[in-house]
Parts: sequence; structure tokens; C-alpha cells
Amino acid sequence: MPRPDDLQFNMFHFMPYIHLPEDHKKYESMWVDVPNTIYDPVKGNQLYTRYLREMVLADKLGFDGMVVNEHHSTTYSMMPAPSLIAAALIPQTTRAKICVFGTPLNLEYPHRVAEEYGMLDVMSGGRLEVALPLGTGMEYWVNPINPATARARFRESIDILLKAWREDGPMAYEGDFYTYRYLNVWPKPYQKPHPRMYLVGTGSPETVQLAAELGMGYSSVFVPISRQMQAFAELRERSPKYGHAFTRDKAIIGVMCYVAETKEKAEQEWMEHLFFFFKDALRTTPRYLVPPGYVTPAELRKRLSGPNLHGDLSWDALTQQFFVVCGTPDMVAESIATWSEQAQSSRINCFLHLGTMPHWMTVKNMTLFAEEVIPRLRSKAPDAHQALSQAAE
Amino acid sequence: MTTFTREEITIAGVKTVYLTAGSGPPLLFLHGGGTFHGFEFAKPWAKDFRVLLPYHPGFGESGDDPDLSSMQDYVMHYVELLDRLGLDRVNLVGFSLGGWLAASFATQHTRRINKLVLVAPAGLRIKEAPTVDLFRIPGEQVPEMLVHNFEVIKPHLPTGFDVDFAVDRYRETTTVARVAWERLHDPKLPRWLHRVTVPTMLVYGEQDRIVPAAQGPHWAKLIPGATVKTFPQAGHLVLDEKPEAVAAVQRFLQ
Repeated sequence: MPRPDDLQFNMFHFMPYIHLPEDHKKYESMWVDVPNTIYDPVKGNQLYTRYLREMVLADKLGFDGMVVNEHHSTTYSMMPAPSLIAAALIPQTTRAKICVFGTPLNLEYPHRVAEEYGMLDVMSGGRLEVALPLGTGMEYWVNPINPATARARFRESIDILLKAWREDGPMAYEGDFYTYRYLNVWPKPYQKPHPRMYLVGTGSPETVQLAAELGMGYSSVFVPISRQMQAFAELRERSPKYGHAFTRDKAIIGVMCYVAETKEKAEQEWMEHLFFFFKDALRTTPRYLVPPGYVTPAELRKRLSGPNLHGDLSWDALTQQFFVVCGTPDMVAESIATWSEQAQSSRINCFLHLGTMPHWMTVKNMTLFAEEVIPRLRSKAPDAHQALSQAAE
Repeated sequence: MTTFTREEITIAGVKTVYLTAGSGPPLLFLHGGGTFHGFEFAKPWAKDFRVLLPYHPGFGESGDDPDLSSMQDYVMHYVELLDRLGLDRVNLVGFSLGGWLAASFATQHTRRINKLVLVAPAGLRIKEAPTVDLFRIPGEQVPEMLVHNFEVIKPHLPTGFDVDFAVDRYRETTTVARVAWERLHDPKLPRWLHRVTVPTMLVYGEQDRIVPAAQGPHWAKLIPGATVKTFPQAGHLVLDEKPEAVAAVQRFLQ
């Protein structure tokens, strides 16, 4: 079992649909209303097959986890039901954690997610980890759940999931959104009381506060570095107030990186795919990002005054806003070491496939990362230093 | 020259601001899903009526309360407002979302109404002439859909992107989402509209691109004795566009 301070590396895959028509720029958004007629199921089949192979490779290469997540009605991700991908990975892998990061509980019936995740944990013999997101604003345009009550429903859904897992059934549950006459989830998870859990947020204080209260870890995607650091600082400060120790494995950082023989080669191979990811996969409208009631008017004001992260970003802006690095193993390891130290994080989600990266590049990146970057970072970890200095004494 | 006086009252913990002018029998106007175009159109009514123009909770200058999450909550808000103002009976005019609210109020409290005017009301699902789902329309496209003559609405719009305007619209749209995201109509309304037993008039702009004027006869069938008046060269904001429509309401209520 890894200790909380041991650096752990997850391979995170978005599994995008990349075969876009020539004129795809005419779609203002690649989410919500991008017509599903541009999806070719034959190509989709080939992509699923390929992406699953890449995740299986992560297990073989020694990554600590394989991360899948959920998005709807978009080319950005082909995983509206990430539990299905997780289930497909279980029999093909042996040791890496299956990280479903995850289904927005409030878009599903919470007991149903408790059942699905319970199944995955039992099927995998206790390899499941889950992260609970509210879901992006875009999800609320294509699901019937009211965005104006999404947060309240999310909070109640978490409560139901935790009760279903932590307490013995059958029990009754009476909430504002859900009434269960018999809450009696079969199967309960393999891990007791349940798999490790994280909340996923966009740096908003409410979600960090909730993670602190519940003793969960915290993870965010597409949040500027400064806001992530702020969120982790709040988590460190607040968790103990609710009787939960902060440990480094409760802070997950997400890094986009590409490893190659030289910096020039890395840039030459990777840039276009990275830009595709930001400009074409993430492209959406301000309206889809914030459906009515998804954020408070005050939060909207903040966002309207900040940078647009879902559009045209320069390389400088990207590297300033996000954990983005490419270059030699030394360079990549150095950046990640710095970031994980600053964030006091020991869990690194690695986006080693992005956008239109072909299979060979993904395999190259994953292999170099596993064989050249991870060993460099493990030797830099605080514990390793300690062990070395103790050995020296 | 009529000027409105701004009044403030707290209803069940929510700051409620209303504009008022004139004297005579009370006329309560319930606005629609956005307040940016103001209440100028209502000034002529002050000649004959004590006009009351409240901002619903979650709109304009009134306070917010996320717990107001259904049309019924807003019906109760206005029952209490009338009680607090000592108004036993009013003339009730509701526009768009406020028309739905006025109709709901009328099915339950018809005795508290002298006469009812529904201006391009939302609230019914009419398959032959459906209400446009404004949640599906990008904000920047909404203003021109509201009117037949764009000049009427132009003075109320910012020139270019305006954060304050965007945030205000977002707040009001959020309020609408709380009561109407799941359904932009009340499936029970047709069942109970027959209980509206006061003289009722429906008003439409012939070119309404949000709530088609073709919905009028459906309401008239459901509310005993209701009449429909349609004004040419006018869109959804028929009261802002057509002084004749404002005058017709005035005559009907007298």
C-alpha cells in the first residue's frame, strides 16, 4: 500500500472523438448542440478499441491508476457512461486503480450510482476510486436536471451515497429531492467502508468546504493554477476543523505533459494536438458553460471578468494558466516536482493523451513518462530524501 | 407627467420593491421573465387606477429567495402582498411569465379580482402554436425576438457587451429556471381555468415570436367569456410597442 506522501501517477484519458469534418470550425460549440450526425460509429469503434488498449498499457507500464470521466453530447469525450469503460478495463488489467472521476451524482439516481460503483469495486477486487463532480455547465443543457437546484441536489446525492455505503441497509431516507422507502444498495463496495473519494470542483469555495467537511480529497480540471493552489490551501486549513487530517494524497493535480528526446522535438510533435484540445475539443459558448442558476450572479461576474479558458489560448497563456509542460524527462520531472511540492500534492493525474494525438505518440509519451519521468520523481519525493538521509546517518 | 414612487415591503422575509402611481381602484401588474425594458408603458393607467408594479422576488430591485421554487410560491407571495397592502380586490394584469402567474392566481383567488388581463401569457402548452423555449435562445438573440419594431427596445439595451447587464439577466433567468426549467407550462392549468369567473381579456401582438397570438383562442375556450384582442405590427412586448394596447387594457378595466 502506498503511503499518503508517496507520489502516485494516474493515466487520465478523455477518449475524445477526433474525426471532425473539415468545416468543424463552423460549430461554435463542440458541446451540447454539435450534431451527432458527425459521429461515425465505425470510427468510434476503432477509437474505443485503441483508447482501451492505451489504458491497459498504463496498467502494464506501472501507472498507479487509470482515470475515466463523464461528459455528454460532445466530441470532447466518448464516455457519457464512464462506468462502462471502467467495467471494460477491469478484466484486462491487474493492479492499477480504476478511477471513475466520475458520474455527476445529481444527473443520476444516487442509489443507482452507489450500485454501479459497488459493482465495479467488487468486480475489481477493491481497485475502485471515485471522484464526484457537479458536472460542467454543458451537461445541464442535455440532461433534464434543473441547474438552478443542481448544487442542492448534488449535496443530497452525496449524502445518500455515503449513507448507502457507510451504513447497513435496509434503511429509509427522506430528503428534499429523493425519498427511499428502502435504501438497501446491493452490492456494497469491496473496500470498507468504501473506495477512496474525491470531490471535483472548479475552485469554488463551496465545493472545497464540502470536501473538508466530508474528509474527502479535492481535484479540479481546467482551473487556473492560482485558483487550484488557493483551493488546496483552503482544504489543508479546513479539513482538520472537521476532524479530518489533510494528507498529500487528498490533493490531486492534473498535468498535461509530453515527453520526448529533446524540447524541440517535444514541441514539434505535441503542440498541434495540445492546441486542438483547447481550441477544438474544449470549444464552447459562455452560455453553455453557465446555464441559469449553475453559478451565483456574483460568481458569474467574476468569470466574465476573467480569462476565457474555452477558446483561443496562446502557448504563453496556457503554460501560465495550467500545469502544461513538454520536453526531456528531466524537464518534465522538474516541473511536476515543483508543482506537486507547491500544491502539497502526492497524486498526479497525467493527461498523456490529448486531442488528436495519434496512438504512437500516446504510447511513446506514456512509455517515456513511466520509464524516465516517474523514477526521477520518485527519487525526489520527500520520503525518499528522508530515507536517504536516514541511511546516511 | 406621471412619475412612479418606489415602495418597499418585506414579504415572508423577501424584500419586495414596487413602483406605484395614480389613485383609484388598484391595478396590479405582474411582469414577465425580464425587467430590463422597464414599466414606462404603464404610466397612462395611473390616470384611472392606483397602479402597482412590483418586482417579483429574484427580479429587478426585489430580493432573492431560492426557496421560491414554484409558480405556487409566487401566487402565495402575491396573496400576502395584497393582504399586507390591505387590498381586497384588484384588477390584475399579467404579462408573459407574469400572465401565467396571474392565471394561476385567478384559478385560486378569483374573488380577489375585479377584472383580469392576460398579455401574451405563458403557462399553457399548446401543441399547434407552441411557446418558444427562451432557454434555448442565446441571450444576445432574445431582444430582437421580443419586438416587432427593434427601435422600441433599443434604448433599454447596452451598446456592446456589458457585464452588469449580463449579470442582471443571468440572475433573472436563474429565477425563471427555478420555477420553469423542468416545464415551461403548468399541465394542471387547463383543468382549473374554468374557475376564473371574472371578466377576462387576452392581449397579443400579432407578430409575437415568443408566445404566438394563435394561443389566444385556446385560453378563451378555457376561461368562460374571455375575449381576445390582437394588435398588428407588434411582437411579444405588445404593451411597450402599442399605446393602443395599453389603452385597450385601460378601457377594459374601467
